[in-house]
Amino acid sequence: MATINATIAINSGDLTSSPISINNTMTMMKAGTCHGLENTSGLVRRSFTATTLVDLVTVGAQMYGTPTASKANKLYIKNTGTSTTDYVDILIGDSETDSGEELLATGGNSKITLGRLYGGDWMLIPFEGTSNNDIMVAPSTAETTTVEWMLFFE
Amino acid sequence: MATTTATVGINSSDLTDDTLSINVSKQCYKAGTTLGLDQTTGLNRLYVTATQQFDPFPVVKGTTNAAENGKVYIANLSTTDTEYIIVGIGDAVIGRLYAGDWMWMPWSPKAQHVNDIEITPSVATGMHVEFMAIHNFANIYPDSADS
Repeated sequence: MATINATIAINSGDLTSSPISINNTMTMMKAGTCHGLENTSGLVRRSFTATTLVDLVTVGAQMYGTPTASKANKLYIKNTGTSTTDYVDILIGDSETDSGEELLATGGNSKITLGRLYGGDWMLIPFEGTSNNDIMVAPSTAETTTVEWMLFFE
Repeated sequence: MATTTATVGINSSDLTDDTLSINVSKQCYKAGTTLGLDQTTGLNRLYVTATQQFDPFPVVKGTTNAAENGKVYIANLSTTDTEYIIVGIGDAVIGRLYAGDWMWMPWSPKAQHVNDIEITPSVATGMHVEFMAIHNFANIYPDSADS
């Protein structure tokens, strides 16, 4: 059993008239237990040189193991760039076809955009890992864009 | 413009043979700029007592936010290991936040219902949930006719 701690701090002195300071730490546990997650993809670093939509984290069996669906898996992603104008769109769904159309992700070939990671932006989300729930990226530029990601799973 | 910084640290000394230490800090900017996001929903804290799905940040009917940028924070404050919330977007499930878990992600809401964020508690016995959006949207929360 491993102990993985993830801490977030959100701070602003001027977003509102009173300062904002949110600090929260979670220990990544297996679903419904007090036992820590034990498996990881490792920190993956991947570069893209086209604006093509690409599967970043695919569900099912992978070279690092098979994340169990509908558990307490966590996914970290970072755009390692420094640009304030170039970004990667992060999507969820299935990228196989219909790349130009955004639909509700109920079919086998649809997807939904979560949001954009500009240079230096990061995200940490739970990872469901069921079918049609791949995590995809679509860079905004054909200039080299490098993304790092790491999956913690059971 | 406001200056809002989001910092994450992911650390483990025993997940792998070598110590894991990820530390990132980044300011929250409007899309394509170095101007800080200047709106927020504030930190909402709800005691949810039903397993019915709800939208923490409804998108206003008939509008879009395609050019804007936003960040979302959601935390499950339960202390009961088995209690979780399912977080989704549109009809897709992002994943489950169990007791004590939090998430932070970018959010680009478009038309209503297309990529609304959804939360579904696992139990009706009551649990506290916190959520906040930091954004420059013109058309979300609180005046919505969403379902």
